[in-house]
Amino acid sequence: MNSAREALFERRLLIVAGKGGVGKTTIACALGLLASRLGKRTLIAEVDGAGRAAHLLGATPGPIGEPQQVRPLLSEMSVDGTAALAEYLQIIVPVKVVLQAVFSSRVYQYFVAAAPGLKELMTIGKIWYEAERLDEATGKPRWDLVILDAPATGHSLQYLGMPQAAHEVFRAGLVGRESQRLIDLLTDPQRTAINLVTTAEEMPVNETLEMHQRIRDELRMPLGVLFVNRTHVAEFEVQDIEPLAAALAGLRGGERAIAEEALNRAREEAAWAAINASYCQRLSSAVRMPLVQLPFLFAEEFGSEQVRQIAAATESALATARRRAHKHGRS
Amino acid sequence: MAGLDEVLRRHRVVICAGSGGVGKTTTAAALAVYAALSGRRTMVLTIDPAKRLANALGVRAIGGIGSAVTVEDVPHGMLSAMMLDQKGAWDELVQRHAPSAEIRDRIQNNRFYQHLSQSFAGSQEYMAIEQLCELHASGAYDLIVVDTPPTRHALDFLEAPQRLADFLDRRVVKWFVRPYFSASWATMRFVNRTVGFLFRRLEEATGISALVEVSEFFTAMSGLFEGFEPRVRRVYKLLRAADTAFVLVATPEEQVLGEAEYFTRKVRELRMSLSAVVFNRSHREMAGSRRSVRAEDVLKVMKRAVGSASLATKLTDNFIRYEAIGRGDGLRIEAFRRVLPKDTVCVEVPNFNSDLHSVADLRAMHRFLMAA
Repeated sequence: MNSAREALFERRLLIVAGKGGVGKTTIACALGLLASRLGKRTLIAEVDGAGRAAHLLGATPGPIGEPQQVRPLLSEMSVDGTAALAEYLQIIVPVKVVLQAVFSSRVYQYFVAAAPGLKELMTIGKIWYEAERLDEATGKPRWDLVILDAPATGHSLQYLGMPQAAHEVFRAGLVGRESQRLIDLLTDPQRTAINLVTTAEEMPVNETLEMHQRIRDELRMPLGVLFVNRTHVAEFEVQDIEPLAAALAGLRGGERAIAEEALNRAREEAAWAAINASYCQRLSSAVRMPLVQLPFLFAEEFGSEQVRQIAAATESALATARRRAHKHGRS
Repeated sequence: MAGLDEVLRRHRVVICAGSGGVGKTTTAAALAVYAALSGRRTMVLTIDPAKRLANALGVRAIGGIGSAVTVEDVPHGMLSAMMLDQKGAWDELVQRHAPSAEIRDRIQNNRFYQHLSQSFAGSQEYMAIEQLCELHASGAYDLIVVDTPPTRHALDFLEAPQRLADFLDRRVVKWFVRPYFSASWATMRFVNRTVGFLFRRLEEATGISALVEVSEFFTAMSGLFEGFEPRVRRVYKLLRAADTAFVLVATPEEQVLGEAEYFTRKVRELRMSLSAVVFNRSHREMAGSRRSVRAEDVLKVMKRAVGSASLATKLTDNFIRYEAIGRGDGLRIEAFRRVLPKDTVCVEVPNFNSDLHSVADLRAMHRFLMAA
């Protein structure tokens, strides 16, 4: 294995998974930017995310299920299980009139809304389709890389586990065969890597450790990189700032208010830096994945500029991640 | 305008809603501790709390009602907690409602069920609400505070019972029941071309053995959910009751607030009442952003106070960076408040310098939660 970066971008499918609110979409977009800059034709697929990826890439969301180009070599698409099922049925049931009747029937609508696992299966199916899709003109794969921005943890595991479940239930039939192809893709370390995103706080870390273990032992899917997002790295320590409290006593009025506020913000930053550091430590000793630590960004608003900054930080951290992996003999 | 304490006082059920990772569990626990401290027999129905918080609340086993919590200043017996099991929610549903042990076993041994029960849409949410109905009917508590399951969309919690009811609607389920053996199915196959076609395709797609399994699953289920509709109606009646309040928890991030805005609209459409919004982990600019503080002024002050020029610079930079966040949070919170009805209670809780786990931590939140 060369660098962690190449190992990542030589895959065909990168899945970005993790607890809600830790920044999966941001990481998926940052990876998309890096891959497209390396010359890879890249598709970012977002699962029921309301067009957040498009927004972070400075574009307006396009129609569901249709890739739209947002930059040279970089496209983005929203995936929805219900729409993917309709698309799939159009392929296996070519009679339009019958299909219309099916789609508009109450039975179908209710069944799709609540049927166990159906939407998840169709979503993964759609991702598989894009990952394997050939360009009509050239006969070559349409995408060099598909990046899946997966839903929040509990849901991610349901999505990833669905082909296996479907395969076991429907061994012989078409669904069984199709599921096997999905499983082949998801478990192939040459083509796929499951990347995890977390923040270095108690609950997200607990969930990440559990997810890591289940992906490794139950789903047996190849793990990629662990992204630890929004880490605070204070330039000062708690012991540097606490003695200052006494010094502030000499100030008055507005000056004192400013100094106190600055001291409180310093305390906050130092406290979170310490919390983040201890959870990073815990992650790196419990998880055998290259670890990429990304900074908390102090921005008034989070937009495409911040995604570019995260992409830059990811790029340099991936280089360090390789050294780490070598040092521990983990490459 | 009344505050959150008023909301707690006037209602018997308070439901904390919001998208995942915003601090619902902690907020629900803090509200429950507050109510108990003010002398109301309170139950907090919690989901997946951090271990130390679960300990603080006295919850040990999943499902069971935690022993009444011993908290300083809270009279014994005033505060109880109960933890819902997210993962076994569907098993629990089957256990509880199966008309006989035989049917229960038939469902639980069905391969289709075993593989798919984990992802059965809405079962966790439904269980939380069903549990709430039971606790409410018991009359043992003056107030029940509910923490909702961590869904991506806050709304999932409200829609789950209806979705589950739709799915288990007998008229729908019967299409899937024993299609190969029942006489009614054979008739249907001729009468209803659409469904007949769908099944012939399903048959080709899946192979017959699987369909039999699916069909058996639904046969067993249809007995299970006899009278499911009335229960769902009871659930919605409770959610719409005058003494039930929703408290929306959100962090001041664009994505979270976008979701929250959609939630507030939907709650109104569903004729439920949103009483309060908690902006958790929020920052504010110093001096309420009337005039931004200038970096050079801060640096001057810090240099005088600190002595070390390099430390003064670092502290100033840090301060200015936090001011940027405070400015953004402030703008987003104000914009969000403008779309809320005027009588909605809004409170801001700052980002504490640690994870909140002890009852003392929860009490530290009260100053902000109960601010007028």
